[in-house]
Amino acid sequence: MNRLRKSWDPLIVVPILGVLSAYFFGFTSKQWAVTGEFTRWGGHLMNFVGVDTSKFSYFKLIKFQGTPLDRIDGVMIIGMFIGIFVSALISNNVKFRLPQSKTRVFQALGGGILAGFGARLAMGCNLAAFFTGIPQFSLHAWIFSIFTVLGTYVGTKIIQRPMFQSKIKMKKVHKKTLYSIHDKDHTTRNNWLLVLMAVLILFLFFIEYNKQSLFPLVLVFGLLFGFLLEKGQVCFTSGFRDLWTAGRSNMTVAILLGMIISTVGTFVFIQNGIPATIHWAGLNTVFGGFIFGVGIVIAGGCETGWMYRAMEGQVHYMLVGVGNVIGSILLVLVWDQIAPFLAYNAPEVNLLKVFGPYGGLIVTYIGYGIMALLLWLYVRWYFRKVNKKQAPTTTVQEGLS
Amino acid sequence: MAEEENKKTDYTIDYFLNLEGEPCPFPAMTTVNAYNDMKDGEIIEIISDCPQSINNIPVDARNRNHEVLLVEQNGPTLRYVIRK
Repeated sequence: MNRLRKSWDPLIVVPILGVLSAYFFGFTSKQWAVTGEFTRWGGHLMNFVGVDTSKFSYFKLIKFQGTPLDRIDGVMIIGMFIGIFVSALISNNVKFRLPQSKTRVFQALGGGILAGFGARLAMGCNLAAFFTGIPQFSLHAWIFSIFTVLGTYVGTKIIQRPMFQSKIKMKKVHKKTLYSIHDKDHTTRNNWLLVLMAVLILFLFFIEYNKQSLFPLVLVFGLLFGFLLEKGQVCFTSGFRDLWTAGRSNMTVAILLGMIISTVGTFVFIQNGIPATIHWAGLNTVFGGFIFGVGIVIAGGCETGWMYRAMEGQVHYMLVGVGNVIGSILLVLVWDQIAPFLAYNAPEVNLLKVFGPYGGLIVTYIGYGIMALLLWLYVRWYFRKVNKKQAPTTTVQEGLS
Repeated sequence: MAEEENKKTDYTIDYFLNLEGEPCPFPAMTTVNAYNDMKDGEIIEIISDCPQSINNIPVDARNRNHEVLLVEQNGPTLRYVIRK
C-alpha cells in the first residue's frame, strides 16, 4: 500500500506506457493522442457561442462530430482525467495551488496557446510524435521531434531571462530543526473522492457499454494512461527542457526507452494489417514542432503534463489547458489559408513503404541509436563543463524516510 | 502528527529555501542556482509542493556530487535536505 502512495520511477512507468500505447493501437486502430480531441472541444465551444463550424475544413480533417462520449478519443481522455485524479488522490497529491505572480499566469496562457497552435499545425503533440508517430513509422514525427527539441532550447533561453526567474531566495539560517511540512490530514476527503470516482467509472462503463462494445476497453486504457502519467510524474517537457537547464536526462532516457519498446509492438500490429496514421512531412510540421517546443517550455508542461498537474489542483496548469484549447481554435481559424502552402503540398511519408518493412524498422532503430548517442555525448559534455570548477568530494548516500 | 513537528536533526542547516507555490521547472532551476551560492559542506533544506520535483531535485544534486541527506514527503509537500 505504501508503494502505491509513493511516486514511481519514470524509467519503469514510461516503458509501460509505451507498451500500453502499442496495445491501444492494436485494439482500436487509433493512436494514443489528446490534442485532436482538445481541438474538438474548441469546436464545441465555437458551436456554443454560435459559430458555424462546418465551414472550417480542419474540423472535417479531425472528424468533428457527436459529443466526447461518442468518440474514442473523447472516452479515452475522460478516462485519463479520472485515472489521473485517482492516482493523485492515492498519492495525496491533490492541493489547490494558485499561481504566485502575474508573470506565471501570462506564461501559462501564452505558452499554452503557442503549444496548442503548434501541436495542431503539426497534426499532433508530443504523444502523437513520440508514442504514436515515430512508432508508426511516419516521417513527419521525426521532423516534428527535431524541431520540438530546437523549440525547447529556444524556450529555455526565454524562461531563463530574469523576468521569469523565481522571486524566492534562499535564506541564511543556523538551525537543527526541520521546517514543519505537516499539512492537514486529507485522508477522509480523499477517500470520499475515491468512492465518488469509483461510482463515476461504473456509471461511464454502463453508458459506454451501450454505445459501442469497444468503448469500455478504451475507458480502461484511458484510466491506465492517466494513472501512470501521474504516478510517474511523466513530463515530456521536462525530458527536453531539463537537458538545457540542468543536464538532467532521466526523463529523456525514459521516453527513449518507451519508444524503443513500443515500436516493436506497433510494427507487429501494422504487419498484421492495422493501418498506421501517416501525416504530411511538410513545413507545417517544421513550424508546428518549433512553436510547440517553445510553447511547452514557456507554459511549463505539454498536453499530458498539464492534464495531470491540473487534476492535482495546480491552477497554473488549468490555465495551460485553457491556452491549449484557445491555440487550437486559432489554428482552425487560419488553417484554410495556410494549409495549401504548408501541408497539402507535402508528401505523407511512410518509412515502411520507403525502406520496405524491415528496412523501415531498422532505420527507425538506427534513429533511436543516434538519439541515445547524442544524449550521452551532450550529458557528458554538460557535466564536464559543470565539474570543471569543483572536484567530486563527498560520497553519495541517501536516507528515504 | 503533531509530535513530529519541528523534528531535530543531527546536522546544522545553513540555508532554507521554501519554494511552495512555484511550478515546474522553477523549483529545480532555483535550487541549482542556490548550490552555486553555497560553500562545499554547507547544508540546505528545500521545501516544494511541485510533485514533479521528486524527479529532479535529488537527481540534480547527485549529478553534481552533492549529498542527498533526506527526501521526505507529506502529501503534496516535499522536503529535501542536501549537503553541497
